[in-house]
Amino acid sequence: MIRKTGKGSGLTLPRRTLLKGLGAAAALPLAAPWVRRARAADPVKIGMVIPFTGATGAYGPEMEKAAKLVATSINEAGGILGGRPLELIVEDSETNPTAGLAATKKLLEVDDVEAIIGYWGSPIAMASKQLIIDAGKVMMVSCAANAVTEEPHGGHIWRFQAKSTQWGPAGARIMLEQGQKKVAVLAQQNPFVISMVEPFKAEIEKAGGEVVKEVVYNPDQPSYRAEVEEVFGAEPDGVFIPGLLTDFTSIVKEYYRAGFATPITSLSIAADANGKFLENVGGEIAEGIHHFQPAPPLASPNYKRFLQKMGEPEDTVFLFAGNAYDQMAVAALAMEKAGTADGSVWTQQVPFVANPPGTKVMDPVEALEMVRAGEDLDFIGAGSDCDFDATGDQLNRHFLHRVIKGGENVTLGTIS
Amino acid sequence: MIAYLVTILTLVSIAAIVALALNLQWGLCGMVNFGIVGFVALGAYTTALLALAGTGPILALAGAVAVCALAGGLVALLSVRLSEEYLAIVTLGFGEIVRVVSLNEAWLTGGALGLPGIPRPLIESVPSESYDWVFLGLCLLALAAVFLLLESLTRSPFGRLVRAVRDDDVVAATLGKNVLRTRVVAFAVGSGVTAVAGGLQAFHFSYIDPSQFTPIVSAYAFMAVIAGGRGSNRGILLGACTVMVLLEGSRFLKDFVEVLDAEQLASIRLILIGLGLILFLIYRPQGFGREPRRSAGSLLGEAAADGRERTS
Repeated sequence: MIRKTGKGSGLTLPRRTLLKGLGAAAALPLAAPWVRRARAADPVKIGMVIPFTGATGAYGPEMEKAAKLVATSINEAGGILGGRPLELIVEDSETNPTAGLAATKKLLEVDDVEAIIGYWGSPIAMASKQLIIDAGKVMMVSCAANAVTEEPHGGHIWRFQAKSTQWGPAGARIMLEQGQKKVAVLAQQNPFVISMVEPFKAEIEKAGGEVVKEVVYNPDQPSYRAEVEEVFGAEPDGVFIPGLLTDFTSIVKEYYRAGFATPITSLSIAADANGKFLENVGGEIAEGIHHFQPAPPLASPNYKRFLQKMGEPEDTVFLFAGNAYDQMAVAALAMEKAGTADGSVWTQQVPFVANPPGTKVMDPVEALEMVRAGEDLDFIGAGSDCDFDATGDQLNRHFLHRVIKGGENVTLGTIS
Repeated sequence: MIAYLVTILTLVSIAAIVALALNLQWGLCGMVNFGIVGFVALGAYTTALLALAGTGPILALAGAVAVCALAGGLVALLSVRLSEEYLAIVTLGFGEIVRVVSLNEAWLTGGALGLPGIPRPLIESVPSESYDWVFLGLCLLALAAVFLLLESLTRSPFGRLVRAVRDDDVVAATLGKNVLRTRVVAFAVGSGVTAVAGGLQAFHFSYIDPSQFTPIVSAYAFMAVIAGGRGSNRGILLGACTVMVLLEGSRFLKDFVEVLDAEQLASIRLILIGLGLILFLIYRPQGFGREPRRSAGSLLGEAAADGRERTS
């Protein structure tokens, strides 16, 4: 569009021509055939704020795809609230709280959405949550920092992710299982990781172990040599390295170069990241690294069908895509149950469709029919069991423990 | 839609204050400040900490202005032995120091978790439906005050002195002007103004954390000054609006184009923003405004008149 204006305007100062060109450019979408026409009658609008650009940009596309899957299947089955289709409007958070806040405001005020889902990254959720609460809408997040649900929010926030304080003990138990009692921690300075360190230490000490060294590093450092030397030089039995993909990759390369052999335990978002870690470092360097993350219900037929619909191989362990799938499904179910799209009303119905007691049901369309029939149900999602406590945090998160062997991720078990 | 525009306008006025401060430092005085985001962060953290300690918003903001002006003055003092390019590196370093301190000194700044629950000014005395409007009013008021201050400074003898130092510091020194003092004052005033923007951001979000203060904030300020025209405060108001229109306006692209998915649109959006800026610089390299300058003719006329008076 802009190229057109350039062509028409030549090199002289073209204010009038430029204006004309801009006008034409603005008119172009109106005339073109691929432009959005009048929309179907009165859709229920759901907003989504996820990263497509910036440091966490890799996670946006899979979350969008998963949320769209739910919307499409529900719409094909006739929509909700007596035939209204679901409409998903996606905005880029740019991995930046200011951009995330502007995107949230746009969704609330311009698109008039009933709920906003997504929210990868606690700082973005923290900056945006008050807007959603003030507007009386519902927020569903995929981020872990405890602070997101700590202050009272009137039941308007639901977390589809394990809290960071729940991650720590899981990591500790994995290391204790391997007989590591004298351990060290090398942790990234970010809200999610830092809040898991204290519970990790408590769990280790409870079992009679000891944390001999604790080093915190900043993200995006050019080198991690000093930190690696310091932590592994303390000669612990094992090192816990909660970080993210890019810095964990550099740390492991540094560890390999220096010739250390102390076993490493990390998070799957660093040491797997949907296969990207192995692509980055190769099987030889990655051999023997243990990692864990909140587990999707891997054995459930719903998760298998979800992978099929996403077009992914059977052994894929999605974390965030599954959460997005569940957010969309639970929002639709709670609205149907409440019989209204009014956020302050239907948010109260979330526990009644997601928590036990009730018939366990996995397919969103099937679950909608049960809601219409007035049956009690307990929705089981593609990312988790979707059970919530009174503050909107998830209960019953299991963690999947895997190890890298021969260039592949091998499942060792589930930690509860 | 209106409420969205109110938010955007609030963000624009905060960005415009940063850009106006940069205009004084870089546009008028020629001191490149790549670390301006560090001053925004310092202002935001000082305001937040004081407000959380219960000083009330006005004292908190005043404290932030004082702290930032002092820090700015100290950074500028380094320019006693450093010419333009070296000062740019020093300011980059300052920005990085602020970022690393705010990230790691958790006892003071909350570290990576940030500072939540910053009390917003007037929140209790204004009905919550109209609070966004009131806050926008406060921001516009602050912007107007900053604009008037800097505009009168620009047109005052001090403004001419600042420009003289920028254009040729040796000539200015030869004429008996204290170059170092001029630079320190200009930089300190600019930094104090930046603190206002930081404080308003802390109040607006009522939550701050290090990830809000990335170098992209500095880049946006430079974009606003370049688009607005170096030296022209009026142009910079327009420049800040233009940058925000490009950033936010491109969000609406997807309401018109259906063939692309959100991932492609997000990337195309960034390309379009860059393209918009490049086209703007090709067709209007001088920016919107012009530095307020008196023409040689009018100066010569005055000088001639002076001369006649003296001889007569």
